[in-house]
Amino acid sequence: MNTILLMDLIKPDPNIAAVLPEMIVAIAGILAMLYDSFVPKQRYVTGAISLIGLAISAIFLYSMWGDLPETSWNGMVANDNLRMSFSFVALFVSAMTILVSSVWIDREKVPVGEYHALLMFATFGMMFMASGNDLVIMFLGLETLSIATYVMAGLRKGDLKSNESAMKYFILGSFASAFLLYGMALIYGATGATNITEIAAKVASPNFPALLLVGGAMLIVGFGFKVATVPFHVWTPDVYEGAPSPVTAFMMAGPKAAAFASFVRIFVLGFPLVASVPAAVFLHESWITALTVMAILTMTLGNIAAIVQNNVKRMLAYSSIAHAGYTLVGFIGAGMAKTPEARDAAIASVAFYMLTYAVTNLGAMAIVTLLGQKNDRRTEFEDYNGIGFKSPVLAFSLSLFMLSLLGLPLTAGFMGKVLVFRPALEAGNLMLAVLVVVAVVNTAISAYYYLRLIVVMFFRERTTDWTAPKIPFAIGAALVIAIAGVFYFGIFSNGVIEKFSKSAPIQSAQVK
Amino acid sequence: MSEFNLFDYAPIGIMFLVAMGFAVSQLLVTQLVGPRKRTATKLMPYECGKDPIGSARDRFSIKFYTVAVIFLLFDIEVLFMIPFAVAFKELLNQEKISGVMFGTIALIEILIFITTLIVGYIYVWKKGTFDWSLQSRAEARAEAKAMAKIKRENVIELKKAA
Repeated sequence: MNTILLMDLIKPDPNIAAVLPEMIVAIAGILAMLYDSFVPKQRYVTGAISLIGLAISAIFLYSMWGDLPETSWNGMVANDNLRMSFSFVALFVSAMTILVSSVWIDREKVPVGEYHALLMFATFGMMFMASGNDLVIMFLGLETLSIATYVMAGLRKGDLKSNESAMKYFILGSFASAFLLYGMALIYGATGATNITEIAAKVASPNFPALLLVGGAMLIVGFGFKVATVPFHVWTPDVYEGAPSPVTAFMMAGPKAAAFASFVRIFVLGFPLVASVPAAVFLHESWITALTVMAILTMTLGNIAAIVQNNVKRMLAYSSIAHAGYTLVGFIGAGMAKTPEARDAAIASVAFYMLTYAVTNLGAMAIVTLLGQKNDRRTEFEDYNGIGFKSPVLAFSLSLFMLSLLGLPLTAGFMGKVLVFRPALEAGNLMLAVLVVVAVVNTAISAYYYLRLIVVMFFRERTTDWTAPKIPFAIGAALVIAIAGVFYFGIFSNGVIEKFSKSAPIQSAQVK
Repeated sequence: MSEFNLFDYAPIGIMFLVAMGFAVSQLLVTQLVGPRKRTATKLMPYECGKDPIGSARDRFSIKFYTVAVIFLLFDIEVLFMIPFAVAFKELLNQEKISGVMFGTIALIEILIFITTLIVGYIYVWKKGTFDWSLQSRAEARAEAKAMAKIKRENVIELKKAA
């Protein structure tokens, strides 16, 4: 009875090198946790441990770029450019968050070891969402990320707003996870596979059950929640406003990028257009149309709602919804791309957009954190009245970040927008052309609220006394990196884009 | 894979109907047939069969939740260990036959798993989760101090009187 037949065993396919970056981040998190439990009085050591771990991980990630087998661990972990570029974004966001949060850690007396350990585990989850080539791995990554983020949103235990934020995020996030999981189960039921490559092969077969459509719809709901698209965005403003500012900065850039990585991989690579099969054409058309409608709604509602906000964090939350809409434009462009090269370029543009958004947004949130004071009290527009000439460094950098979010030429935001809009235009489809027009009109609308902050800072009188805060070293470093990034990605973006879009052989094998 | 056909899923629908019908019919039958006698005992709030000892609005320590979490930790450890223990010998056998490292990989994986759990264990230990009496010990110490103080004052008063 108790025997195992050799044929029942799946041949193990371990490739430690392929998951080394993820492992290093996880080990850094565990070390931070252990160090904190033995030396509870420390303030900075766990942050240093985390930064070192992230740096080592980034070095390994860079060195293995392009010279690894296409998939490893029996096809569960992919090593394509999609994974590499989004993992790099995750590492960058995490490192910047550590720098930005240093001032907040001092001010609020947060349990620092736990905070850094949770941040590392969240990064680990984000990296696995980017590298997973299997629905199960993606879901595990998503849950690791989400659970860590729920706790981080509620780290200010004494503050009711923070509690509310964590509670809302937890309940709605679990709800979305349930949708996602059910969608994955239905897709598994329809295709008999959880591997993206195998699912893509099954979609190309002439007969596939309608369950696949239902499963895809549920995945759109789940991921739509995670990247905050209309109509699944309602949690975003409350959660982003209530969470501590550095955690908000992390949530705006990190989980959104990671969710886009999985989202793009499942839909663009898993549900490709197979022109000869009517069912696959129908599936492809359905998700493209659904996402187009969502993108238009997301951009419009995000921008219009941002206009009427009086709180800077809330304004940035709605702006983050709008940016999810812009990113969807590139995503849809990737779905409509006619050649594998064009598709890889479009996917790279999505990754690049998330990178530019992360750079700009983390810089802006660093200043919001610094000006926010204890419990993030000073986050209304009025609190920025007339600080322009009293603290020129902060005001000019914040203005630069606002212009980059708006997408002014020479800044990172401009290059990001050009790159995500281009693939949609190149598809030569009327619907996508309308989408791009809506996106451009929305960019014009967004000028109102981004410029409003600049106007408030430089041209309003301040009624109360205000002294410019001293810029601590870590925040200064984060600002220098963000400003350099905004200009570097805005002017010399070629190298990064080429690196991101160098086509990997695995993907060209999938489109038939 | 065959064409999608709704009637293939009819058994699931029937199962739902049966489940709902069962629940509804049971409630109906007890409502209609069952005798109804209200006694004092029956109207008491149910508390695991014991007589209630007070209001449920009392404040009580929720330390048990940390214990529950740690219990879950070790529960899941056992859940993974048993299948590993059952399969391990056979995996080693297969390793000898086929030359693929089934057994070695299984052993390394379970060791990594246990290491992660032990790290969690060390963490909760150092954070004082197992030190339940921390508060009561502090209270007892404060009480002892107060008593010592009263005693000292009494001694001083006695000396004065003497």
